[in-house]
Amino acid sequence: MKRRIRITHHLLWLSLLVFVVPGLADRKRQPQDSEAARDFKPFIDRVQAYVKMQKKLEASLPALKPTKDPAQIVERQHALAAKIIEARRDALQGDIFTHEATERIRRIIRKTFVGPEGRRAHKTMQQDTPFKVVAMHVNDVFPENIPLTTTPPTLMLKLPELPPELAYRFVGRTLVLKDIKAELVVDLIPNALP
Amino acid sequence: MPTMRCSVIVTCVALAAISLPLRAQELTLPMKKDSVRFAVIGDMGNGSKEQYAVAGQMVAYHSKFPFDFVIMLGDDLIGGKNPADYQNKFELPYKPLLDAGVKFYATLGNHDVSNERFYKLFNMNGQQYYTYKKGNVQFFVLDSNYMNPQQLAWLEKELQNSRSDWKICYFHHPLYSSGAYHGPSVELRHLLEPLFIKYGVQVVFAGHDHVYERVKPQHGIHYFTEGASGELRKGNLRKTDLTAAGYDQDRTFMLVEIAGDEFYFQTISRTGQTVDSGMIQRAAKTAASRPKVRPGHGGLPDRAVAKAIGVELTRAPTAAR
Repeated sequence: MKRRIRITHHLLWLSLLVFVVPGLADRKRQPQDSEAARDFKPFIDRVQAYVKMQKKLEASLPALKPTKDPAQIVERQHALAAKIIEARRDALQGDIFTHEATERIRRIIRKTFVGPEGRRAHKTMQQDTPFKVVAMHVNDVFPENIPLTTTPPTLMLKLPELPPELAYRFVGRTLVLKDIKAELVVDLIPNALP
Repeated sequence: MPTMRCSVIVTCVALAAISLPLRAQELTLPMKKDSVRFAVIGDMGNGSKEQYAVAGQMVAYHSKFPFDFVIMLGDDLIGGKNPADYQNKFELPYKPLLDAGVKFYATLGNHDVSNERFYKLFNMNGQQYYTYKKGNVQFFVLDSNYMNPQQLAWLEKELQNSRSDWKICYFHHPLYSSGAYHGPSVELRHLLEPLFIKYGVQVVFAGHDHVYERVKPQHGIHYFTEGASGELRKGNLRKTDLTAAGYDQDRTFMLVEIAGDEFYFQTISRTGQTVDSGMIQRAAKTAASRPKVRPGHGGLPDRAVAKAIGVELTRAPTAAR
């Protein structure tokens, strides 16, 4: 009888551990997730606004379809870049990467670059050809003669998803939000890499 | 006696001189009926005379082995991206092939820009990553510079839906590499390889390290690095236990023929020397099956090594690498 009670007692504790504790953990995680969502919301809104503006400007140019004429590709890229630079002539660093989003992203990057996974992420970046780091500014044309540094895929799993028109790129320790059609620096976070 | 020795030496030199060009441009591929035939180039777009020499060799081989298309493993345009660069680094070196109707299917490397996907002759159709079929083979072309969650999800869906006998992936950064300069993309490997295993990808091509390397099968997958079709890091290959064959003394390109369940490959140097060749047998979809590798030039060194790594040799190596 005593043994049965003891087993029931253990089972009760076990069920508490299996069902209640993870639930508590979830409840604890939820506010953090909603905090992150709240911090990223203005950033995501601004990204969407940028893409909307980019598409509007793009619509004023001849449509870019696959072409055998590389001049068309290059000229269109330059024309789009010129229009965006003009439309965003007053843009400043931090206009898209809001303060809250910047802090969150810095934290995510710091966490990603620790431990064994972090070493792999570091290696991903180091394995690309080292090049002279150039200073970047908003509305700069992304230098085409320097090789790209691979953005660590494990980091991208943690950062807010971007529309296909934009990409996260590292140039040295700076995280750049890059317009991949106009090859422009949209915004940046200096010293984002620890 | 010295005269005789001298004549022997002269004869040997003459024979060597004759045999070199004979060995050069020797085709080891079987040219089977209705096979899928293609060439592989990587890290080629620098516009150097060496790139043109490799392209010339490809043209010479095309007359004997009329491949229908070429897969490009990235760094298609190194340095400038002006219209003249497209011409000097792509259109001119491969003009005879383009004129012969050979199609090129590109992937983006770390020296490329995204807008190259709109260049019609790269056949990317405006996409960063894409898939296409040739006979019983489906190719999955990835952008390893930017492996975001959307691309991973796309790859999984496409692999899942594929009913092709052969599934071949290619992208710029190698998951395995003994190149000293870059080495393997371990982080990318952790993300991609489980998908390759799950959905039965048999062959993976990459570039980035400016050498040629064939890696011993990993989880039944055959990995090739061909990053020396224009660029070269001479002597950069640090052969490891993973290396099945490698070459870092000159520029190279590959020819591939897929006939039914057989995948034949031949790797050729800028001067026309065959530096590796062999055949991969498509494994039946059973857990007990193992990939077979029949090495040719520069293949596995001996049966003991083959046994140690668990591959089955169907013919002894024919030449040193």
